[in-house]
Amino acid sequence: MSLRERTLPERTLPVRPSPPPVPPGRPGSRRSGSRWPVTGALAVLLLVGMTALGPLLQGTGWWWLMAVEAGAVLVVSAGIRSLGPQPWVVPLAGAGVVVGSVTLLFGGGTGVLWLVPTGDTIDRFRTLVDAGIASVQSQGTPADPVTGILFLLCVGAGAIAVLMDTLALTLRVPALAGLPVLVPVGVPGLILDNGADKLTLVLTAAAFLLLLRVDVLGRRGGRPAGRLGLARPGTGAVLVGGLAIATALSLSVVVPNLPGDGRVGGRATGPLLFGDGVSAMVNLGQDLRSSQAGAALHYRTSAAQPPYLKLLTLDRFVGPSWTARLEPTNTGNTVDAIDRPPGLSAQVATTEESTQVVIDGVASAWLPTPGAATKVSGLVGAWYWNGPTGTISSTNSSTRGQKYTVTSLVLQPTPEQLRAATGRYPVSVDSSLRLPRNSPLIIEQTARAVTSGTATPYDAAVALQEYLRGNEFTYDTTAPVADGYDGGGVDVVGTFLAVKRGYCVHFASAMAVMARSLGIPARIAIGYLPGSRSSNPIEGRDRFNVDAHDLHSWPELYFTGIGWLPFEPTPGRGTVPSYTQPTGPSIPLGGAVAGVPSTAPRPFNDSGQALPTGGGSATTPGSDTGTPARVALILGALVIVLAVPGGIRLLRRRRRRRDLARGTAGGAEAWRELVDTAVDFGVDVRATETPRELAARIGALPGLTGTGGAVAGAALGRLLAAAERHRYGRPAAGAPQPELLGDLDTVSMRISMGASTAARWRARLLPASLWLFLRERGRAPVTDA
Amino acid sequence: MSVPPAGATTDAPSGVPTQRATGIHSAPETGPGTDAGPDVEPDLALGLDLVAEAGRAIVRNVETVIAGKHPAVVTALTVLLAEGHLLIEDVPGVGKTMLAKALARSVDCSVSRIQFTPDLLPSDVTGVSVFNQVDRRFEFKPGAIFANIVIGDEINRASPKTQSALLECMEERQVTVDGATYLLPLPFTVVATQNPIEMEGTYALPEAQRDRFMARISMGYPDTTSELAMLDSRDTSSPLAGIDAVVTGVQLRAMMTAARGVFASSAVKQYAVDIVRATRSDKDLRLGASPRATLQLIRAAKAQSALQGRDFVLPDDIDALAVAVLGHRLVASSRVLGHQHQDSSPLLEDIVRRILAATPVPLGVSGRP
Repeated sequence: MSLRERTLPERTLPVRPSPPPVPPGRPGSRRSGSRWPVTGALAVLLLVGMTALGPLLQGTGWWWLMAVEAGAVLVVSAGIRSLGPQPWVVPLAGAGVVVGSVTLLFGGGTGVLWLVPTGDTIDRFRTLVDAGIASVQSQGTPADPVTGILFLLCVGAGAIAVLMDTLALTLRVPALAGLPVLVPVGVPGLILDNGADKLTLVLTAAAFLLLLRVDVLGRRGGRPAGRLGLARPGTGAVLVGGLAIATALSLSVVVPNLPGDGRVGGRATGPLLFGDGVSAMVNLGQDLRSSQAGAALHYRTSAAQPPYLKLLTLDRFVGPSWTARLEPTNTGNTVDAIDRPPGLSAQVATTEESTQVVIDGVASAWLPTPGAATKVSGLVGAWYWNGPTGTISSTNSSTRGQKYTVTSLVLQPTPEQLRAATGRYPVSVDSSLRLPRNSPLIIEQTARAVTSGTATPYDAAVALQEYLRGNEFTYDTTAPVADGYDGGGVDVVGTFLAVKRGYCVHFASAMAVMARSLGIPARIAIGYLPGSRSSNPIEGRDRFNVDAHDLHSWPELYFTGIGWLPFEPTPGRGTVPSYTQPTGPSIPLGGAVAGVPSTAPRPFNDSGQALPTGGGSATTPGSDTGTPARVALILGALVIVLAVPGGIRLLRRRRRRRDLARGTAGGAEAWRELVDTAVDFGVDVRATETPRELAARIGALPGLTGTGGAVAGAALGRLLAAAERHRYGRPAAGAPQPELLGDLDTVSMRISMGASTAARWRARLLPASLWLFLRERGRAPVTDA
Repeated sequence: MSVPPAGATTDAPSGVPTQRATGIHSAPETGPGTDAGPDVEPDLALGLDLVAEAGRAIVRNVETVIAGKHPAVVTALTVLLAEGHLLIEDVPGVGKTMLAKALARSVDCSVSRIQFTPDLLPSDVTGVSVFNQVDRRFEFKPGAIFANIVIGDEINRASPKTQSALLECMEERQVTVDGATYLLPLPFTVVATQNPIEMEGTYALPEAQRDRFMARISMGYPDTTSELAMLDSRDTSSPLAGIDAVVTGVQLRAMMTAARGVFASSAVKQYAVDIVRATRSDKDLRLGASPRATLQLIRAAKAQSALQGRDFVLPDDIDALAVAVLGHRLVASSRVLGHQHQDSSPLLEDIVRRILAATPVPLGVSGRP
């Protein structure tokens, strides 16, 4: 019968064939010819993964550098592996390539033969690392890949290549080789709001699948699939899935919780900054909290006092929130001649100043200009001014790459003029008195309390500013987010006045809302602080660098006969306008000035050195840590995740050994530990197998057959006898046998000795015995009642 | 026709069966509790290390005449110790009878040999009542079955009637003639041989009767070395002449008692039941193994454990014996059997091995395999 003839041979296999003794794992020397495809797949995966850094860096040169570095590591590793050395030689050689190439490229000739690093090279590297980290912290995105950054990228690419090569080819767990690629793929997600390019992610995933496929093809026909526990599809799937979940969980804990509403776009590739103005405040807060301070612009000005640069005005409430008034653009209002600011009478002293602005990183349809501009020249595209809001915007262009000169008026009203400004407000500013219905009572109550005893709107405004700048309030960019009152709406202001923690949005909004509640027209301006002075004056004009951390908002109040005047209620930020200081000239605010809160987060200073944001760190340590620290945190989390299986196994082993030593566990426990050890080293466990049969296979392991194996064999026999007696003997059997501990150690050591280095590490880090329980489902022990 | 094997052969110490039979004759319906006759010492359980040592001595003794057949010899001894009956099935001339004889002679007890032929009568096996002219009364003449070890050669040549008489004795361990019941001596073991190839003029044992044998083994051909050695040793004399008993009948009974006392854990019993049940639901089998098979599997496993000096049964004992104990009780389905007229034993043994390989081993008290 054909059926029988076809099926019988399969069924009538000899009873429980023992597999041939496992060859000592020396993977590199066995089938080196088939490893090159895996190396190729690794290279593809790494090169694709590195492109994910694209949005962060300018140009493409950095990618080629990383590609050459990673390629060199992979090729040299594969070449050395094909020579068949000890497995541990290959990662060492890869690391050597990294060190040598980095010394060659960045060592500046300090290395011996340009390749071997010396003490000078180390110093040089340290400088490069510091410079790279500083550069990463100070630059916006896309960053200019300066030498320090290139150095970090190069070392990182080399290290990842070594790690991937070791995982995929030395340890033969290509599924885990995908983990290091998460570093370049994951970093953009930490810096940019929308993370890496979706296409890059898809391509990286495809490259990962290609790697797995190539590896599977390479394994076919050669080694038995059961050699590595991980090679079995079930175990591998469980392992990778589990690691993925664990990694995702740990990352979500480590990465700070950025308020990501859908309206926020990335600065480099996404929508324009403040494109619609609706989310401007939230947007601003994010920029302040971001660890990346991208360069926004720089300028030189003729003014003695560096100006605030205003982008847009929020003067309307939509619901409880501030929004920009979007009026139809009057195409007659070209920027070559801008009207005098509304409401500004001739009595108020003004000086005309000119400011040359060069945009570095801002992408916006609103033009950053000093207040009260009268003329802008040098712009590309069609730009128009809006009189009531005092803003300049474009219909068809953006600020990107613009270089322009602004002529503007600096208002210098005297306190007397301000105190006299009590007349009726024009109709055009009536809308700037409105407050949403149901505004929290605390706003008006506070405003009244603070301004009691003031006679004029000006005095009231100064009192409000002084109140907000007082010691009761703390500048904090993170507390509002953490406590859920971010933004600038009236309800938020209510909370803010009670909590007294917040940042510029809250201070500005609070002052504007309180002023409105007192009947003073008020609105909010959003723009940049004057930035930091850098010390290379041209024609006597210092250069000022403005970055994303200088984003700011401040209130503007209207005074009859003078117009809109900016105030500065945020403690520790910017400069207090001189006209709000009835007694003297304007005071640059800084930690050195008495009476000013020394918690100044980002004092305006003249050193030209961009300081890392510090305001939040005083109150919430760790929330403002730099990117390297965050990457370190993530890597640490990964290490912890990777260490979990081995740790569990270690604890289990310790517990069993302790129980054995104390005599609270018998032969069964010793046997369980032995079997787990064997499983860790790749021995397969079958449900249909008796302990004796398993012992025979363990005894056939390389470590127990060579010289000295007889002792281990005898120990194995004692362990087996004890286990059998405990399991199948009379219930009273199974007395504690502390001497089994020695036997257990003997056998375990021999098993380990006979295994390859890779297998030993795998047993340590990814003990397959942890997954044994999956196979014991439904196998309840049969007990003798 | 004369009765070729009638009575004890020269191997058997004469008189023992008669005495024992007569002793019981007066009380035919004695319960099993009294089967230890007044002339027999009470059973003594031997220490298991002594059992193992004695077992090794027997095996060594047997192997002086049958070289290179260690597994068959050990299985045969196991069955003897487990108080079962052994069926040796193989082609002629491989030493079936030699094994049976050597085993029997290694133990100092009565042995009889019956050569089965188609005209062998049941009374030739069991015995017959003869009228004694002097005493003017019927007198029971015990048949060849009254021996501690009965060698039944070519059992499938006898008529079904004779076969069933023998098999009744095997199961009941007693003989009933003319309404009187005679207990058989202890130990009592039938070692039967049969030739699987020759079908002409034979009456294959029905399934129900094969079931009475605890185990079936086959000898197989000796390897070259053993066959050459045999040529040298058998050239001059009969090897059996050099065999002496190494244990007494009393010792053998003590060994049996010890074997009976071996512990079989629930896990092991579960394993045996799992295996036997698997034979009943296997699609390649028309008839699975009986509950008696389970019982005998455990018994044989106990004996094997005792022979290894171990006081508990391991799943490995079950594994080692399952083919011998279960193989001959199974009937392959016609689907796998096909139209082959060949011996189906190898096929059935393969099926048993396959079932063994697929049956999970219970974990015992707790923990992992």
